[in-house]
Formats: sequence, structure tokens, C-alpha cells
Amino acid sequence: MKPMETLNREIAGLFAAKEARRRKLAKLPFPEKVRAVVRLQRMVAPVLRARGRQVRVWTIEESAPPGE
Amino acid sequence: MEKTLQVLNDLVRAGVVSRYAIGGAMGAMFYIEPVLTFDLDVFVVLPQTHGGLLTLEPLYEALRARGYREEDECVNIEGVPVQVLPAYNALLEEALAEAREMRYEATPTRVLRPEHLLAIALQTGRDKDRERVRLLREQARLDQKYLKGVLSRHRLDDK
Repeated sequence: MKPMETLNREIAGLFAAKEARRRKLAKLPFPEKVRAVVRLQRMVAPVLRARGRQVRVWTIEESAPPGE
Repeated sequence: MEKTLQVLNDLVRAGVVSRYAIGGAMGAMFYIEPVLTFDLDVFVVLPQTHGGLLTLEPLYEALRARGYREEDECVNIEGVPVQVLPAYNALLEEALAEAREMRYEATPTRVLRPEHLLAIALQTGRDKDRERVRLLREQARLDQKYLKGVLSRHRLDDK
């Protein structure tokens, strides 16, 4: 097999795994998705504020997911 | 966020709004992967006043009376900026009428159906809406026959 074909196959595998992960995330219970959104907000807020955009990170009390 | 929904349910019980449903990115998230958003979009059906006027003012007043303040275009309800949007066209009226009853933890709420969320995103048509259409098509379990009906009724089937 040519090196490029091997690489293409590996990349296709990586994209497939990425899609599978997104489908798995889509099936999470909604409260877990909300926790993920708040984590995203916390990560992104400093970047957006540095660009001059006013954003508010949600200040919600959420019960911890099982196992945390 | 559960407390936010409890406040919205309380507004329905008090007759301040006839009905509400979650839409926008948070509504879509009931069916797709988590995506970044900073607002909770809530569509409402307002009770008609004696003069036949439809206005959000009584809703804002009721929220102020409960101690919630407006912040730009949103009202901060229990730590969540909520953007309240009245059903301003036939598609939104239908979407609200047919919204699904769901639960957030122990609290009942209403969420727009994925087919309506997709149609609304098509109608709105901004870049982020087109991305939402793509995610809904890829990840949500859509009733294709129902979706076809919605798109046809609201003349969105060529989009």
C-alpha cells in the first residue's frame, strides 16, 4: 500500500471516530449538556472579552453528574 | 437552570404567559451535541389584553416583581440570561402549539420539536442557523414526513 493511501485511511478513521463521539455527545442527558455548555462558556469567555465582546457566563447551581 | 424553568412555569400558572417553549441553541441541544451559547431563547404566547394589544411589558413587570432584572436584551433569571421572544409568525405559533413536554431533572418544561427548530433556522438563515440545520439533520431523530409538512406549510421547502 502506498504511504498516501495509508495516511488517507488513518485520517478517514480519525474523522469517523470524531463523528461517533459527536453522536455520543448528542445522546447525553440534557442536564449534562448544560454542564458542558457552562464549561464551554468559561473557556471561551476570556477570549471573547479580550476581543471586546461582553458575555455572561451562567451562574447556575447544578447537581454534579454521577461519578464526579 | 432548573430554577429558571421553575420561574417560567410559575409565569404560566400566574397567567402572565399562556404558553412557553425553549427554542434556539438550548432547544436544539435537547436533540444534538452541546454547542456554545450564552442565552436561553424562550418563545412565548402572550395572553391578549382587553385592548387587543400584545406586549411583553406585563411579562417584564412580573419578572421585575420577582426580583429579576433586565440585562440588555435578556432578563437574568436565576443566573441564566433569558431572551423572551413572542411568537411573531405562523411558523412560531405552530411550533409553540406543538412543542414537546419534557423534563429537566424533576421540572417539567416545553421544548420545540426538532423539525420546527430546523424550519425556524432555515427561515432565519444566518450562518449559525445554517450550522444548526446541519447538526439537526445529522444528529436529531427527525420525523421526515412531519418535517416535509412543516417546510411545505411555511414555504421553506426550497431552502
